[in-house]
Amino acid sequence: MIADTASLHTFVQAFHFIADNPGVLLSKTGDQLELSGAALGIAAGIALPLGVILGHFHRFSGLAIGASIFGRGLPSLVLIGAFLTVLGIGFVNNMVALAVLGTGPILTTAYEAVDRADGDAVEAARGMGMTGAQILRRIELPLGVPLLFTGIRISAVTIVATAPIAAIAGGGGLGDIIVNQASYRLSGVIAASLCVMVLSAAVYSALYALQGTLTPRGLRRTTLDQAPLSRKEQQ
Amino acid sequence: MIRKHTRRAAKAAFAISLGVAIVIGLFAAAFTHPAHAQTTKAPTIIVGTKNFPEEFVLGQLYKQALQAKGFKVSYKENIGSTELMTTALQSGKINFYPEYTGVIVQDVFHHANSPKTAGATFRLAARLEKAKGYSLLRPTPFYDTDVVAVTNATAKKYGLKSIGDLKKVGAFKLGGFPECKTRNTCFVGYTRQYGLTKASFLPLAGISAYAALDAGKVLAADVFSTDPPLGKNSKYTVLKDPKHVTGFQNVAPIAKTTLVKAYGKRFVATVNSVSRLLTLNAIVAMNKAVEVDKQSAAKVASAFLEANHLK
Amino acid sequence: MGGKPVIPNFGKGSSCVTGDHFFCWDWVHQHWNDTLGPALWQHVELTAIAVAIGFALAFPLALLAHRFRPLEQPIGVVSALVYTIPSLAAFQLLVPFTGITWTTVEIALVAYTLVILFPNIVTGLRSAPEEVIEAARGMGLTRRQVLTRVELPLAVPAIIAGLRIAVVSTVAIGTIAATLLPKGLGYPMLLALKEPTPFKTEIYSTGILAVALALACDAALVILRRALVPWARRSA
Repeated sequence: MIADTASLHTFVQAFHFIADNPGVLLSKTGDQLELSGAALGIAAGIALPLGVILGHFHRFSGLAIGASIFGRGLPSLVLIGAFLTVLGIGFVNNMVALAVLGTGPILTTAYEAVDRADGDAVEAARGMGMTGAQILRRIELPLGVPLLFTGIRISAVTIVATAPIAAIAGGGGLGDIIVNQASYRLSGVIAASLCVMVLSAAVYSALYALQGTLTPRGLRRTTLDQAPLSRKEQQ
Repeated sequence: MIRKHTRRAAKAAFAISLGVAIVIGLFAAAFTHPAHAQTTKAPTIIVGTKNFPEEFVLGQLYKQALQAKGFKVSYKENIGSTELMTTALQSGKINFYPEYTGVIVQDVFHHANSPKTAGATFRLAARLEKAKGYSLLRPTPFYDTDVVAVTNATAKKYGLKSIGDLKKVGAFKLGGFPECKTRNTCFVGYTRQYGLTKASFLPLAGISAYAALDAGKVLAADVFSTDPPLGKNSKYTVLKDPKHVTGFQNVAPIAKTTLVKAYGKRFVATVNSVSRLLTLNAIVAMNKAVEVDKQSAAKVASAFLEANHLK
Repeated sequence: MGGKPVIPNFGKGSSCVTGDHFFCWDWVHQHWNDTLGPALWQHVELTAIAVAIGFALAFPLALLAHRFRPLEQPIGVVSALVYTIPSLAAFQLLVPFTGITWTTVEIALVAYTLVILFPNIVTGLRSAPEEVIEAARGMGLTRRQVLTRVELPLAVPAIIAGLRIAVVSTVAIGTIAATLLPKGLGYPMLLALKEPTPFKTEIYSTGILAVALALACDAALVILRRALVPWARRSA
C-alpha cells in the first residue's frame, strides 16, 4: 500500500491545522491575493491594450502568439530570481516577476479575440461607414469578450498558483507557510497547499462569473471558451 | 494522399519513439529506485546536512574523509534545519549529521538554560542523545553561535551594545530563519531572558538576514558568529549576549549508535581526525571561500582534507 | 590535542565575484564542472524521465479515449484538476506518501506531462478529416489499419505540439523541484538566492541555462516534426 496510515494521518492533521489557524491562513491568503491582483493588473494593463490593438490591425501575430508559448517555458523561479537581483526583496520584485508571467496568455488571447472577430460582422460594419475605432468598440471587443476573459482567467490562475514560490524572495502569502515546513510542520504545509488550490479555483470561478455578466446577450449561448491556446499551438 | 514510404517512415518513427520512450522510462525507473534494504551486514552511512553553507562544508568534509578511508557514504545535502534533521534522523532517512552542542541541549531537548561551559554542554548533550540511541563524536574546537546583529547605523542611533539594550527601541522586528521563533537559543531566549516584550519575529525562509537588515525590513536579525559579513570591517554590529542565551555551540557529529558499533574504531577515528582540525580560523576561511569567493563546498572541503593529509 | 590545521588557499574569487558585479564569466567558466554542468545534466535527466513516462502513459490512454468516446470526459476533468495544483504544493502533497526522493518529484512531473499530452494526442487523433476516413474504410481498411495508416500519421503534428509544450513546461516546473531535492538547475539558484547577498551570476547563469534548455528541446522537436511529416503545414 502506498498510503499508509501515517500519511493519511498527516492529511487529517492538515485539516486540523486549518481549523486551528484560520487567522494566519486568512491573512496569508489576503497577502497572496493582493500580490496576485497587483501582478494581474499590471499584466492586463499592458497586454490587453497591446493585444487588442495588434489584433485590430492584424499585425505581429507571431509576437502575440509566441508570447504565451514563451511565457509557459519561462521558469517562474528564474523570473523571481532575476527580478530579486534587480529590484531587491519584497513586494515589488515579486509583483513584476508574476506580472511578466501573466502577460503571455492575456496578450495572445486579446490578439486572437480581436483578430478573429466575426469577419462578416466587421465587413458589414465597414460597409455601414463605421470608423476603425467604432468597429473596435462596438463589434470586435464585444464579440471578443469570451476569448478575452479566457486569457485573463488563465493568467489569473497561473499567477495565483505561482505566487507561493515568491515566498522565497520575500513575497509573502501562503507560500510563506509552504516553504517553511520547520515552523508549520508538514500538516501546515499541506493545509496551505490546499488553500492555494481552493484560491485558484475560486479566482477561476469568480472570473468565469464576471465573464458571464459582461458577455453580450447574443453571445451567451455559445461557449467559445475552450482554451484556444491548445488548438493554436498545435500548428 | 499520403505517399507510401512517408507513411511507413512515420509509422516506423512512431514505433521507435514509443519504444525508446518506454525503454528510457523503464531504465530510469530501475535506476532511480532507491536501493531499498540491501540486506548487507552493515547499514549504509547516510550523511545529512542542514540548510546553510557552513553545514555544507562540514558535511562534505566528513563525507569525503570517510570515503577516502574506504567507507561507502550516501549524502543528502540541504535537508533543513534542526527540527527537520531530527525527524530525518529518527525516521532513518539519515544516520549521521553535524549538529551544534548547545542546539541539542536547548532546542532538541528544550532545556531553558545552557550549561556554563562548552565542555559541560557537550557532555550533557552526549548524555541526552545517548539515552535516545545516538552517539556524539568528539566536538570541534570552533563554535558557531547565534548572534543578534544590527546595522552599524542602527547601533549608533539607539546606542545598542548588548541584546538587553534593544529594550530601548520599543516595538521592533527581529528577523531570522523560521525555526528561531520557537527556540530557546534564539527568539524565545532573547525575549524571555532580556525582557524584550515588544519584539516581533519575522521569519526569513529563503532570503538572507543581511539583505533584510539592509533593506530595513527588520531592525535586528539573528545570524551566525562565523558568517563572513561579520568579519573584518563589518557593516554590522553584533550585540553582546552576557546571559549566554545562545549557549555554547561547538559542532559534534551525531551518529546512530548502531552505526558506530557496526563500523567501530576506524570510523570514529576518521570522523574525529576531521573534527580535531576545525578551528575557528579554519572554518571561517572555508566559509569565506564558499560564501564570498563562491567556491563549491565540495571543492573547498577537498582542498582542506588534502592539505591536511586526510585525503 | 592535535596541532594547528593547514589552511590551504582556496582560491580567492575574482573582484567581479566578491563585488557581485552583474555577470562574472570567470565564475561560470571556473564552476561549469562542479556546479553548473552537473545541475544541467540532472535537469535533463529529470525532464527526460518525466516526459518519457508521461508519454508512455498518455499515449495508450489517448488511444483508449479515442476508441471509447465516453472515457474522454472523465479523464479530461481529472487532467484539468491536476493542472490546477500549483507545483510547489504538488511536491509537498506527495511527501507523506513517497518521501523526499526522486520518485516524488517524478510523480508530480509525470502528472503534469500526462495532463498536457493527453488532450493533444486525442485532438491529434481526431484531426483526420471524415472524408479521408470514409475513403479509407471504403478501400477496405480495418479499424486498426485506419488507425495506424491514417489517423496516427495525421496526428503527428498535434502530438509533437503537445510534446513541445510538455517538455518546455517540465523544464520550467523542474526548477521548482529544487525546493524538495538538491538536484536540477533550480538548486544552485535557490542557494544563490539565500546567500547573504544574492549571487547574481549564479542566478543568471542557471536561469539562462534553464531557458536555453527549454528552447533547445523545443527546436529539436520542431526538427523532428519536419523529418516525420514534411507535408504538414508550417506553424503560425
